[in-house]
Amino acid sequence: MKTHRILVVDDEYGIRTGVRQILEMEGFSVEEAETGKDAILLLDRTAFDVILIDYRLPDIDGLTLLQAIRARKLDVMTCMITAYANIETAIAATRQGIDFFLPKPFSPNDLIGVVETLLRHKAGREEAEALRLAHEASLLALASEKSQTHSLVESLRDAVLVVNRPGEVVLVNRAMAALLGGEEKNLIRRPAEDVLGAEDFAPIREALKSSASSRTVFDMEIADRLYVAGLSPFHSDQGEALGHILTISDISEIRRLALEKSRFIRTMIHEFRSPLGAIKGILEVILDKSIGENLDSYLPLVERAEIRLDGLVELIGSLLSISRIEMETNRPLPLPVDLVPVVNEVMELHGERARLRDLRCSIEIEPGLQAIIDAEDLRTIITNLVGNAVKYNRDQGALKISAARIGDEARIDVADTGIGIRAQNLPHVFDEFFREKRPDTRDIEGNGLGLAIVKRLAERSAGRIGAASTEGEGTTFSVWLPAGPAPAHSSPLQHQTPR
Amino acid sequence: MNVTKKILFVDDDRDFLKSQSLYFSKRGYLVLTAANGEEALRLLEKETPDIVILDLMIEHFDSGFRLSHQIRSLERFSNIPLIMLSGVASATGHRFDQELEGLKQWSKLDAFLDKPVTAKELLKVIEEKTVVVRNGH
Repeated sequence: MKTHRILVVDDEYGIRTGVRQILEMEGFSVEEAETGKDAILLLDRTAFDVILIDYRLPDIDGLTLLQAIRARKLDVMTCMITAYANIETAIAATRQGIDFFLPKPFSPNDLIGVVETLLRHKAGREEAEALRLAHEASLLALASEKSQTHSLVESLRDAVLVVNRPGEVVLVNRAMAALLGGEEKNLIRRPAEDVLGAEDFAPIREALKSSASSRTVFDMEIADRLYVAGLSPFHSDQGEALGHILTISDISEIRRLALEKSRFIRTMIHEFRSPLGAIKGILEVILDKSIGENLDSYLPLVERAEIRLDGLVELIGSLLSISRIEMETNRPLPLPVDLVPVVNEVMELHGERARLRDLRCSIEIEPGLQAIIDAEDLRTIITNLVGNAVKYNRDQGALKISAARIGDEARIDVADTGIGIRAQNLPHVFDEFFREKRPDTRDIEGNGLGLAIVKRLAERSAGRIGAASTEGEGTTFSVWLPAGPAPAHSSPLQHQTPR
Repeated sequence: MNVTKKILFVDDDRDFLKSQSLYFSKRGYLVLTAANGEEALRLLEKETPDIVILDLMIEHFDSGFRLSHQIRSLERFSNIPLIMLSGVASATGHRFDQELEGLKQWSKLDAFLDKPVTAKELLKVIEEKTVVVRNGH
């Protein structure tokens, strides 16, 4: 059994030797110090279990010595022995963390009893500390519903799982439970080996076993979704390994967006290179004088080159529009805008081209109808739809713009009597760069971005867009936008003639 | 031997077809054109070109591959030189390049050229490929 070491600090020789004799007979090892300074010197050299301190010392008082002991964070029990015990000293000593107060004079039995009690307390304190450390190491506090860390981790979108050193799961957030297909409470305290037992997690299990000292990252595919998992060891402040933290993030959406973007860029490049290739070919023919010296014979080619260049310029404009729509977030809420003037203005702009094709144009808009949308956005929407209605119409066809309030929405219809859209292509007409490849669309210039822009503009004002079409008969595009305030004397809905 | 060589161009860009026709006609080639795969296959029923130049994105993103595979599958054209033009070959990411490698082998292409290509470059390739085929016969 371990011999406990006791230090007695007293300037009275009689007390010191008396205490030493009594305690040594009980099997303790005892050291003496006459002054506070001597005591500190001894304390710095040797570890003691109990210190008995006289309140009155020749150099410093007992309280100051007590302070010095606390400052050294010594794991030692302290007992004040003094003949001048009063309530103030007792309170001050207690504040300094004294463990016991033994007034002089005391009997040998009193002394032995106090020392033994203090040693028992010390043992208890050590045991509690050991338990606390073990508890900390097992991280079970993390799993407690009350812990702040828990609620913080719980709300993360990424899946999080914490494994302690013995390999038990001590924390699982909601996202992780969903991914593992279990309930949080049923996963806690189970071996990580089991919880991550699925084939998909094999690399993670391996990494847990190898206990690598740095973060490991894995790509995983589970049920058609892409994940990136990161496993990091973590340590206490003292550098002691405590366990591992596993985070799994669903990157399917990011990957999908990345693929979509690269597809967009791929198509965009094609859209640039086609006209460039055509223009280049035409220039080569001219430089080569492939069809002789007569300049006039090249004119139709030059005209085509000009049309293709115009198309390129338009393409750049459309791409800029799309990028602008993507960049402009957090726009202020627009004011209601009157539909009639905007539609009239756009129709005037397209009037010349409509006349060239001899189209019958009609406008039928509920008086005073307003839509809550940026005026410029509305103009772009109508311009694109009317432009298409002119472009894809047949000569002597009809073009009709109608708008009415339906509930909280303003519905705008742009109808043509043109070539129409094939049923299987209808769902794709709002896709970027989508163009129907048909013999009757070959000679119509377009970059396939107009409707994509219209859709984005409608949607960013909380609106939507739809299309109905019959091949060879015509197409109607409909845009629903939030309507402005209803007129005070709301007139009955205007009858809409079926097409 | 001064046999007139026939070139079939398959491309959905009418202006491109036009300029190629003019350029190669001047150099004594007979130029056939088709706007899509269907037209090309119909033409090949009665015509026997010496070389086919086709665009990757005729109707769909990869329809050029399908067409070249179809042409190659025809007994008469199992050895015809096939040149693919594409506006996207070098512009795509790694993932697509890998797919492209597989598709190139599947469609048995002789060459893959980036658009825009000059007629001059094309002439060089056509001369080269048609000579090789003739020697091989």
